[in-house]
Parts: sequence; C-alpha cells; structure tokens
Amino acid sequence: MPLTAKTPGVRAVRRSGLWNWLGVLPFLLFAAMFLVAPTLYLFIGAFQNTTGAFTLDNIFALAGKDIADAYSLSIRLSLVSAGLGAITGLLLACAIVLGGLPKWLRPAFLTFSGVASNFAGIPLAFAFIATIGPLGIVTVLLRNLLGFNLSSTGFNLFSFTGLAVTYLYFQLPLMVLIITPALDGLKKEWNEAALILGATNMQYWRMVALPVLAPTILGCFLLLFANAFGTLATIYALTSSRFSVVPIVLFQQIRGNVLYNPNLGYALALGMVVITGLSNVIYLVLRARTEKWQK
Amino acid sequence: MSFLSISGVTKSFGANMVVKGFDLSVDRGEFVSFLGPSGCGKTTVLRMVAGFEQPTSGRIVVDGKEITHLAPNKRNIGMVFQAYALFPNMTVFGNVAFGLKIAGMQKPDIETRVTEMLKLIGLEQLADRYPYQMSGGQQQRVALARALAPKPQVLLLDEPLSALDAKIRVSLREEIRDIQKKLGITTIFVTHDQEEALSISDRLVVMHAGVADQIGTPFEVYNRPATQFVANFVGTLNTFPVTVEDPAGGRVSMNGITFALAEAIPAPRGASITLAVRPESVQFGAVPGCDVVLPATIEQVHFQGSVIRLRAKAGSLNLSLDTFNRPDSPPPAVGSTSPISLSAKELIILSV
Amino acid sequence: MKKGFPLVSTIIVIISALFFLVPLYATFQFSLQALRGQLSFEAYNVVFADPRFLSTVSFSIIASAAAIVLGSIVVVPTAYWVRLKLPKFRPVIEFITLLPLIVPPIVLVFGYIRLYGSNSMLPLLNDDLGTNLLLVIGYVVLSLPYMYRSIDNGLSVIDIATLTEAAEILGASRLRTIWEVIFPNVRSAIVSGAFLTFSISFGEFVLASLLDRDAFGPYLVLIGEDLAYEPAALATMSFALTWGMMILMQLFASRKPGQRLLSRKSPPTAIAPAQKAAA
Repeated sequence: MPLTAKTPGVRAVRRSGLWNWLGVLPFLLFAAMFLVAPTLYLFIGAFQNTTGAFTLDNIFALAGKDIADAYSLSIRLSLVSAGLGAITGLLLACAIVLGGLPKWLRPAFLTFSGVASNFAGIPLAFAFIATIGPLGIVTVLLRNLLGFNLSSTGFNLFSFTGLAVTYLYFQLPLMVLIITPALDGLKKEWNEAALILGATNMQYWRMVALPVLAPTILGCFLLLFANAFGTLATIYALTSSRFSVVPIVLFQQIRGNVLYNPNLGYALALGMVVITGLSNVIYLVLRARTEKWQK
Repeated sequence: MSFLSISGVTKSFGANMVVKGFDLSVDRGEFVSFLGPSGCGKTTVLRMVAGFEQPTSGRIVVDGKEITHLAPNKRNIGMVFQAYALFPNMTVFGNVAFGLKIAGMQKPDIETRVTEMLKLIGLEQLADRYPYQMSGGQQQRVALARALAPKPQVLLLDEPLSALDAKIRVSLREEIRDIQKKLGITTIFVTHDQEEALSISDRLVVMHAGVADQIGTPFEVYNRPATQFVANFVGTLNTFPVTVEDPAGGRVSMNGITFALAEAIPAPRGASITLAVRPESVQFGAVPGCDVVLPATIEQVHFQGSVIRLRAKAGSLNLSLDTFNRPDSPPPAVGSTSPISLSAKELIILSV
Repeated sequence: MKKGFPLVSTIIVIISALFFLVPLYATFQFSLQALRGQLSFEAYNVVFADPRFLSTVSFSIIASAAAIVLGSIVVVPTAYWVRLKLPKFRPVIEFITLLPLIVPPIVLVFGYIRLYGSNSMLPLLNDDLGTNLLLVIGYVVLSLPYMYRSIDNGLSVIDIATLTEAAEILGASRLRTIWEVIFPNVRSAIVSGAFLTFSISFGEFVLASLLDRDAFGPYLVLIGEDLAYEPAALATMSFALTWGMMILMQLFASRKPGQRLLSRKSPPTAIAPAQKAAA
C-alpha cells in the first residue's frame, strides 16, 4: 500500500516536526527579548539621531577627543593586562605541569584559579586597597621592615599600573585554567623525538612546543583582553569615575541625569561590543583550528 | 665484531627492579627484535639505549664509544615511536628535515636528502601535507624517514606497528625490513607480536620479567625454546604429561604407548614430565615414518585460509594440529575420527 | 637524563602563591585593625550593626535565588529538548548561550533601560516589581553561559533518550518526564550551575546600580567610598563566601545522579516514581 498523508502514523510524524520547534520557543523568546533585542536596539540606535533618521554622526563622534582618549586608555590597559596575564599565566602553568614539582601542586593551583577567576569585582578592589593601598599591610610592612617607600617609586594603586596589577589577580588564574589543558596536549613523545634528533630543550620549545601552543596562547590573550576591556565594578570601586575607561564613560552617560545624546551612548556601547565581540570570535576560530590539529 | 653492546645493564625504579642484568651484542647491520609481553622490560632497555632512561648499572657501547651516560641528543641514534610523534606544526618535509636543520645542514643539501628519504618510503607526493591529513601508516613511514634522515648509527623502533591496522602492519613491517637491509643500519625492534618478530628479525631476544630468556635466530628460538616461557610465548604449543620409563634411553610412556625421545631425560624412572609439540609437527592421518600414532576424534575445525587448525581429542589428550589447505579435499568434519601421528624426535621436554 | 632540582619552577610557584595569598591575608588583617593598636572584630561589628547591610544582603539573596529558579526553568527544559529532539540545532543554541560573554553587562543594562523604560511597549521599569523582575532576568542572562554548560554537561552523562522512552512507555507525559525523571538526575548539575549563578548575582554591581536597586553590590561601593576598615571586613566575608560556595559546588559536582550528599537508608527518590508506575 503506497504511503500517503492519510496513512496512519505519517501525520503523527509530520506534526511532531513542528512540535519540536515549539519546545525551544520559550527559550528563544527569552533570549530574543532579553539578550538580542536590547543589544540590537542599541546597535540600531547608534546609527540614528534623536529624530530617528539614519546618520553616521555618532560613529564619527567616537573619534572625538574625550571618547577617543577613553578608548585608547581602555585598549592600552586591556593590552597590558592581557599581556601580563598571558605571560605570567603561561609561566605558572608550565611550572605546575612540566616543572617537575610535586604532583599535588597542580590540583591545588587549578582549584584556586577556579575560585580566584571569580573574585573580580568590588571585594577584589578592597583587597588590594588593604594590601598595597596607601595604608595597605604590604605598603606598611615594606616601609617598617625594609625602609622601602612604595609611593616613592611612583607606584599608585589608583593609577594605570595599579589597575594592571589588580586585574592580574583574576587574569592570571584564567590564563592558567585555559592553557593547562593545552600543555597536557603537548605529547611527551614530541619532546623525546626532538631530543633524539639532536635538538636541545630550548630548540624543542622554539621549534615545536611554542608553535603548537601559539594559537591557544593568542586565543587566551584575546579572551583576557576582552575580559579586561569589559571590567567595570573593580575599576569603579578603586577609582570611582576618575579613571576614564570606556565602561566608566558609558556608566556616567547612563547614570548621569542629563543624557544629552542617548545615541552617542549607543555608539559607545556598539564600539564596546565590536571590540569584545571581535576578540571572542577570533578566539573561537583559533580554538577550532587547534582542535583540528590535535588529532 | 660487535657494533652495539649492552653489558650487565640493570634498571630499578625505587625498589622495583625492572631490568635484571641484560647482555646483548649486536653486529653492524643486524636486525634484532626484543620480544615479550607488557612489562617485561623490553621498552625500558630500548629507552636506555636511546638515553631517555639511565641504567642503574651496566654499560652501553656503540662503535667503540661508551654512551651510557650521554644525553639523548648527542648519541646520533634514530628512534621511531609507537604513537608516530610527528611534529604537528610541520609538514612532512619539515618533519623529515628537522634533524638535518638541527645539525646545521645547508638548505640545498637538506632539500636533496629529504627528497631522497621521501623517495625511499614512497611518499614524495605528500611532502607538503600535515600529519593530521595522513593515515596512521603514512605517518609512521614519515616517522621512519625522519629518524633515518640524519644517518644515525643505530635505529630503534618502539612497537612501531602496534597502533596500525592488521593489513598495514604486515606490509609496513616488510617495508621497514627492506629499507633496513638497503641501508645496512643496525636496528633494534621492540614488539609484543611474536609473528612480527619471527618474520623479520636476524635474531630475537625473548624477554620475561626483566631478563632475556633466550637470544637466538627465529628458527632456533621457535624450534628449540630454552625455557618454558619461551616455548609458550613463541608460537602455539601442545603440552601433555608422560611417564618416564627409561631416563638414559629417553623412553617415555603415555596411554599404554611407549616411544623414545631425541634426548636423555633428567628425571628418574616413574616420574611424570611435561612434553610439548608444535601443531605443525602433529600430522593428520596415519603417516608412515611416525612412531606415535593415536586414534583421535576431531573436536574443532578452524579454517584459517592456507592453514587449517584442528583440535583433536586422543584419549585424555587435547591436541592442536595444523594441516595445509588442499582445494581438492575439504577439511574433516567435526566429530569424525581419524588417526593422528607424530614423530617422537620432535617432542620437546618442557618441564621435569 | 636525571633532572636537577627544579629551581626555576619552584621560584615561579612560590612567587605566584605569595601573589595569591598575601592579598587575602592582608585583607583579613586590615579588617581587624579598626581599633588603634589592637586587633579586634570591631569593623565586623559595625557592619553587622548597619541596617542597610542586612537589607541589601537579604535583597541580593532573594534576587540571586530568584535568578537560580528562573534560570533553571529556562535552561533545563531547553537543554533537554534540544538534546532529545533537535540535536542539529544544538550548536545554534550553544552559540546563543555564549552571547552574554560577548555583551558586557553595562551594554545589556543600557539596552534594558532604553527598551523597557517608561515609554516602551513593555514598561517594566515603571514600578518596583517590574524593575526587580528585570534585574533577576538580567542575572539569568549573565549566568546563562555557565548554567547552560553545566546542565548540558550533566545531561551528556545520562542517556536522556533512553530514560525518556522508558518513562513514555510507562505512561508519563513529557512534562511529567521532565519533572520526575530528568530533573532529579541532573540535580547535581543544576546545583553546580546554581552556585555559579549565585556568585555572579550576589555581589553584582553594574545592573543593580543602574537599575537603582538596593542590592549588596552598590552597598559595597557606598561603604568603600566612606569607610576604611569596614570594606576590608566585607571583602573578607565575601571571599569566605565564595570559597564556601566553590567547595560545596565541588562536592555536588562529584555526586553521581541519584547519589545523596549524606547517605540515607531509603533509596533515591528518582527511582521511586518509576517503580510506583510499574507496580
């Protein structure tokens, strides 16, 4: 008997096809309303002026002195923070995975990193104030014990350097967490093969290990960059609004009682998302490429 | 003249002695296999020759020079690993050229040498491929080329075929042997597959619990196993108990039948000893010239292609016997009866 | 080739350990220095005596709890459904759940304010209830990547297709299946996700501040602006809380489906309804 729409069972299958999509509808609705729509609203608004007409004025205004400074500051701070985090994280990860140290150190550091990467925010700021702030325990200790005055070196917790050091507290663990599996992926046989072919350990690292790790390191750097770029609570708790990075500027725009030009705010937000979005996309691309290698 | 000599080598990891006094002399150009089950120490000895492990005691000498405590990157030894270990960030060309680059060879010379090696393994057209784009067999051949490119004095292979499919294993092991013969390079080949070891080696070392049980040619090891372990590990073996009748004359009896072994028996009259015989020494049917003929019932028939392996029950004995496939006569049916014959001279005394 | 003493690794590890541990200790010690010349818990007393402390903490606890509940309701059925019915669509859903990592919270809340403000189609911000709801929704969105990943991982371990078929054959409706069969088995994954949601939501600043809510985050900043030792006390308590959460999370993460944290005499409840249905 030929199969038609009237054949019992066929209709049931057809209906369940549509039924499947209904199951994820609540989620899609939720995501649309509270994730996609607000972001899109801002994006579109960035290209409009107060009357709703299309314009690129807001984008150009991003190049204006104050805002360009804010972006430059944000980018510089994020680059330094990411670079610092990437290098120190790589060193620490190498030490605990390949460094020939007692086995229990690795899970200890990994667990701590898991927790510490969540410490970002206001309590972290308070912690660093209590440590290397003007009256911080370490500052006082250095002065009393070693006669060393921290502020005489020009170091100020509430400055670029101070922020970079504070950010390190959650950037370093994040790097360790991500790069450790990649280090595990370095097969011991590669090292042995390189050695038996006459290479020194340095040559092995330079010619095999680092090139293999490079995509992961770069990807992680971008992740750290995006992470630093979007941080607000920590920097606000440390410097209030005195340190004009992009999130702070946007914060003031929104908070401020007078929102001269909401569309400018949209453009700021757009700029932020473009930067963090791009970093994350490149990170994902790099990760996909490495996974293809590791066959 | 010994090219590679391993003398009195032991290795302990803490309280665990993994290699207990290993001695071996390998001639230049010889192909020697280390054969044994997992944990017998064969890979450990290999790694000591490579330099990745340090012997607890003993010496390793290559071409007159002692290398026992030399770093692996100074020994000029080539090694092929079980997991291929090709560098994933380099092409086939880059991998094979690696040792040459390290040695400071000039680019045009590297080019010539690499092309030569790729031709040797038959993969010139894959020079620009990356490891993840190749099959296991191809990767292992590249690994071989990489190891041989810097013209090492000794080639070490650590179970190179274990990770490959059965068919490739057979063709690749022959290829490895051909290349080795062509280059005349002294080679040590570690494997747990006795068929592999028997088919391509000049000599085998059968290892067991850290000790070399027997060293000899495949023919010697197979037909005259020195210990029970070797007899059991290498090839299949039928074993059965017999009673000693006349130790000096080598006469034993079993199930009422008496026959004479090829040698005297180191056991008193009346004692029970274990004899062993290879399946191919047991023949199907009543074959003239065999002094032991037993009536038997065929219990199992395994058609393996060119060889047919039968399990037969003769009285209290269970024996495996091999016959060749003959297109005009089908294998015997299960349950049928037939005499089986063997020559007492081919019986091996396994234990007393 | 014996390795010598790993000097470089040891130095790196010691410096890192100091970098991590010294600020924690310093914060604690600093918090004890409220009274000149002696160590005391004075700063903590001040904090606990502050009525705003209690009100903001309770607000944040309730908001976080609501975020956990709402998050579970949004994520669990979706993750289950996608695995069961729309496996090809899974990467798309996964991508959506990763979007909150790209959109900074400040951009998100900015969008909320403009989109759901007083002159929009859905004026949630017109009253307290609406605004609180929006705050909780915001927290759910922020923790979406972690919640989804945790639950998806939990689902990947149990064979939901077979469990669903078994439940269906025994007569359960889809909803009942989710509630009585799936939920209990991913309980530890949900708890894991819940802890992550809590740690994201509890001390959260940006959303709470811009939505003008009386939450713990803005309270912290306020204290930080005016006082010296109390912030350190609050930070210490906050760290201790995070640590506690993580430990509990590890404990729950290592539970197998149905395994209880404290052993009991009766069998796990996940099996009981199925047994009843079969009786």
